[in-house]
Amino acid sequence: MVPSDLTAVLKNAPIGEWIALSFARDRIVATARKLSDARKAAIDAGEPRPIMMKLPPVGILIL
Amino acid sequence: MKLPYSELPAAPDAAFPERTHVFRPIVALQLEKDGRQVVVFAIVDSGADQCVFPASIAEALGISIPNASASAFSGSSDNPQVAYFEQVQATILPMDGPNIEPDQGSLTFPLFAGFCETLEHVGMGLLGQEDFFSRFTIQFSAAQNYFEIR
Repeated sequence: MVPSDLTAVLKNAPIGEWIALSFARDRIVATARKLSDARKAAIDAGEPRPIMMKLPPVGILIL
Repeated sequence: MKLPYSELPAAPDAAFPERTHVFRPIVALQLEKDGRQVVVFAIVDSGADQCVFPASIAEALGISIPNASASAFSGSSDNPQVAYFEQVQATILPMDGPNIEPDQGSLTFPLFAGFCETLEHVGMGLLGQEDFFSRFTIQFSAAQNYFEIR
């Protein structure tokens, strides 16, 4: 199986902010410092079920 | 449910100067509590004892923390962290995509989920042993870029 490549869609994503991805994972619909603000903006923009995530700070990986 | 690993951007460092990305077994997980829902990414993490999420997700679900169900844990450092647990309903959502088998059903299960401030910078949940690995058969096939939950 080919991996699901999120590198392009997240290339210019703000580090440390909440990101609302489209459910198809093909675009960033909204970003904000607060999850609730990013989610509301995404829903208001017509994305009924955004996937909420953050990109960790540069150089930080999950152990 | 058979899902591909997700490829995420990552920065190089002294140990891995060529690194540009990492692969993680990630699911789109809907959490629900008292009619409130939020969809987040969660990493299938066999090394985690519990299932834990950033504190912001508790707020989105209307869960007030800190609460009485506190539990301490630690990661690679010996600094104790505290997660506050609450019963929620979890649903692993099927993903659409050119590499993904179509028409895979969702998986819904009760989840005693922890929420903690110290996962805020990670921005994803961790699906660990209790309530997740204990419920499903999970097979990692990293060399073939997929994992399976059934």
